[in-house]
Amino acid sequence: MNFTILAETNGDNLHPTTYQLIGAATSIGSKSIVICPNGIATAEAANIEGVEKVISVIGDCFDIFDGGAWAEALNSVCEGNILVSATPNGREIGARIAAKRSIPIIQDIVSISEGITVTRPAYSGKAIETLTISGDAVITLRPNAFEAANSGNDAPINIVNQSADIKISIQEAINQASERLDVTEADIIISGGRGMGSIENFSQLEKIADIVGAAVGASRAVVDEWGMPHRMQVGQTGKTVTPSLYIAVGISGAIQHLAGMRSSKYILAINKDPDAPIFGVADYGIVSTWEDAMPALESALLELQS
Amino acid sequence: MNIAVLLKQVPDTTAKITISEGKVDESSVSKWSMSPYDEYALESGLQMKEKTSGNLIAITCGPERTKKMLTDAAAVGADILVHISDEGVKDSTHIQKLLSAAIKKYEANVILCGKQAADTNGGSTGPGVAELLDAACVTLVSEVNYSDGEFSTLRPSNTGTERVSVNGICVFAFDKGSSELRRPNVRGIMMAKKKIIESITSGDLGVDTGSSNVKLDSQTPPPEKAAGQKFEGAEHVSTVVSKLRNEANVI
Amino acid sequence: MRIMAYEALDFYDVDSLLSEEEQMVRDMVRDWVDEEVIPNIEKACRDGVFPDEWRVALGEMGVLGAPLKGYGCPGLSYTAYGVICRELERGDSGLRSFASVQGSLAMYPIWDFGSEEQKNYYLPKMASGEWIGCFGLTEPDYGSNPGDMITKAEDKGDHYLLNGAKMWITNGTIAELAVVWAKLDGVIRGFIVEKNDPGFSAPEMKGKHSLKASVTSELVFQDCKIPKDRMLPGVKGLRGPFSCLNNARFGISWGALGAAQACFNSSKDYAMSRIQFDHPIASYQLVQNKLAWMLREITKGQLLAYHLALKKDAGTWIPEQISLAKMNNVDIALEIARVARDIHGANGILDEYPIMRHMANLESVKTYEGTHDIHNLIIGRHITGIQAFTRNA
Repeated sequence: MNFTILAETNGDNLHPTTYQLIGAATSIGSKSIVICPNGIATAEAANIEGVEKVISVIGDCFDIFDGGAWAEALNSVCEGNILVSATPNGREIGARIAAKRSIPIIQDIVSISEGITVTRPAYSGKAIETLTISGDAVITLRPNAFEAANSGNDAPINIVNQSADIKISIQEAINQASERLDVTEADIIISGGRGMGSIENFSQLEKIADIVGAAVGASRAVVDEWGMPHRMQVGQTGKTVTPSLYIAVGISGAIQHLAGMRSSKYILAINKDPDAPIFGVADYGIVSTWEDAMPALESALLELQS
Repeated sequence: MNIAVLLKQVPDTTAKITISEGKVDESSVSKWSMSPYDEYALESGLQMKEKTSGNLIAITCGPERTKKMLTDAAAVGADILVHISDEGVKDSTHIQKLLSAAIKKYEANVILCGKQAADTNGGSTGPGVAELLDAACVTLVSEVNYSDGEFSTLRPSNTGTERVSVNGICVFAFDKGSSELRRPNVRGIMMAKKKIIESITSGDLGVDTGSSNVKLDSQTPPPEKAAGQKFEGAEHVSTVVSKLRNEANVI
Repeated sequence: MRIMAYEALDFYDVDSLLSEEEQMVRDMVRDWVDEEVIPNIEKACRDGVFPDEWRVALGEMGVLGAPLKGYGCPGLSYTAYGVICRELERGDSGLRSFASVQGSLAMYPIWDFGSEEQKNYYLPKMASGEWIGCFGLTEPDYGSNPGDMITKAEDKGDHYLLNGAKMWITNGTIAELAVVWAKLDGVIRGFIVEKNDPGFSAPEMKGKHSLKASVTSELVFQDCKIPKDRMLPGVKGLRGPFSCLNNARFGISWGALGAAQACFNSSKDYAMSRIQFDHPIASYQLVQNKLAWMLREITKGQLLAYHLALKKDAGTWIPEQISLAKMNNVDIALEIARVARDIHGANGILDEYPIMRHMANLESVKTYEGTHDIHNLIIGRHITGIQAFTRNA
């Protein structure tokens, strides 16, 4: 059985999620036919284990991102079950191809097994859905939820010329330093408390935040005593937040702070005091000073990204 | 100008979900709300309606209880309220066919929706509907303006934001919008009460939902979290980071 | 992305009996209180100010003078008015006091007893929140006994001359107009005094430990000259002010529940989180007893208020029924606030939690609009036919 894989790229290379799509197909005994939009990274794709062949689609429409045009061009070489990364672009192209082919789409799966049976989170992660697919479908896979395939292959590459009409135009690029997310919007929050020592040391937390796209929060003490902006305050008199991951650094975990972050999906606490109450609610606790932990966290996260 | 806004009613994102016998127990949901990203789409639609003196058509596909959400949309200014019964809907193709048929029936010039619904977190409806209408689609937008036959929108780019323009019918799927959401007022509420909700079925729209390739086997609670793990010393940071990726799946 | 939406205790599903319109009004006010009041109330309380933005928002939402019909007024049911009061007071009793005074004590008397000219002139701007009103009945020496008030009005031919003073007047210092009850030839009449009328001043009363986010004032009339067209023609005697008070008291019977529910929610959350002797204090019997008692009283109070609202809307009520609900619901709310403080331990005295603010506020709510004891005697007189307010016959 073959899966059609829509490759996602990052500059001139494949995005790591493409390896995960192929790994997922392989895990249920399927071969992958990888479609590379705009002919990017075809040699890299041909090099991945589990790839039966690579189809390089060349067209003008890939110069800018118009989901409808990309879907039309790529659809011409799609068949059967189609795997796409559940990235913003992937979700959009996947949905259009599914509608075009009149087949269902299942977004953001986190596991796949023969059958085909898939699972996906629903209700903001409060439930897990198990679905069985008995015919053609488009399936998008959550990034980093699947094992990546290895390299060491030499699959054939076919080139197809296929473009489509673009219906949108880019008027102007507004380059701006992307604003850091507000604590109420972010899926990951890193917060600092009195244990950070001074407001200047928050730059360490900001570095981590920038790596994972997190928001930076603060305990009340830091806001009241060091003048951190009130909108960053998490707690009884600040914001109540429900991120997937809350990283509390140098925060003891007084009841007023817990009131604001207790409902986080996962809590990582870093504090030099092994008896700090925060460890009572943390899923992962590291007893360490922030000076030791932050550089280690930075390098571990950067390594994960590469 | 006819502005269609696609709305979905979901359990309030702060509400607890109860699961029993392999299914989410809908009767236990304490509060139903308009899906948060749809609210931004509605606000944008209302601003566009005011600027163009157009009609705002609020459309939802769902069970009876979703009619209340349409009344809430009327309380802030929706002109036409359309409820499509979700009987027979089994997957994304059915929903998209029903919504597209309704959009065609009400002759919408532009379609606004949220980027994804808070219950499925899917994001298929906007682009899928666009495909069925042979329309353009721009997702993750924060604002949409209309002037002289052209829609202008902001969406994220690799370097920040980019302004995109579209002529002709288009679907815009909203991320968090740049405008504040307006509140209803008493006059709006009292007028909304009187507004008729047009109730239609798949038969009325000429859509045959038919069977589906996908079957929902079960809905289960997420796996119990393991007990908290504590480590002494910063040398364990990389171990914890791997666990965050592999055990918790949060990074 | 969303704030945690407030969920009010409703053990017997009383809110499910509300009409769709009443539920939508409830949700509108509740969301506004969550977004604009809760984040700002402690500072308003500390600073002792009533934020002007709240006046504007209440006007924009269209909730002022809720049950009045016509003249730009909302025309909602009394039940809706009760719901609005409850949702406002969940935020703060001072906020609800602003709305009670504006709607029931200033707009209502003009609506019921004013001339057509007065209604058309004052009511639309009061409904929109552009003009604030206040109600001058209580005097420094005449509280529970308003009938013997000494503020007097004299007919001077082409104007009335007012002399006297009123005290404990919510909104006084920020109001454009005051509905003042004074004796004209020994008979109590209502007069509309505008802030620029000569001889009128409204100094603020400072130093309050209660209702700090509300403006409380004196009204001082020193040969205050008002035009002849300012008297309310439609009523004489205490029936005038008492009609206003009945409406306000009705709103308070719902409002107090809002404060009680806020204290209950905070107590429950705190008890579930506070660990002592290795367990949350919610697992200890004495704490559970307190929470269960709170739930019991709130539930009873809700049913009392809801049934009273049905009677108010049907026109089948008597004032003593309103006395009962006001008295009961404020009394239990104050007790709930006190017990809530106990559950919160030392943390309960901080303004991180709303408890002592509600507790201090409710001391005023228990006293104004008829003290607890006076309402008791109103009911006693209803039962026995014998008045026990005074030593006089």
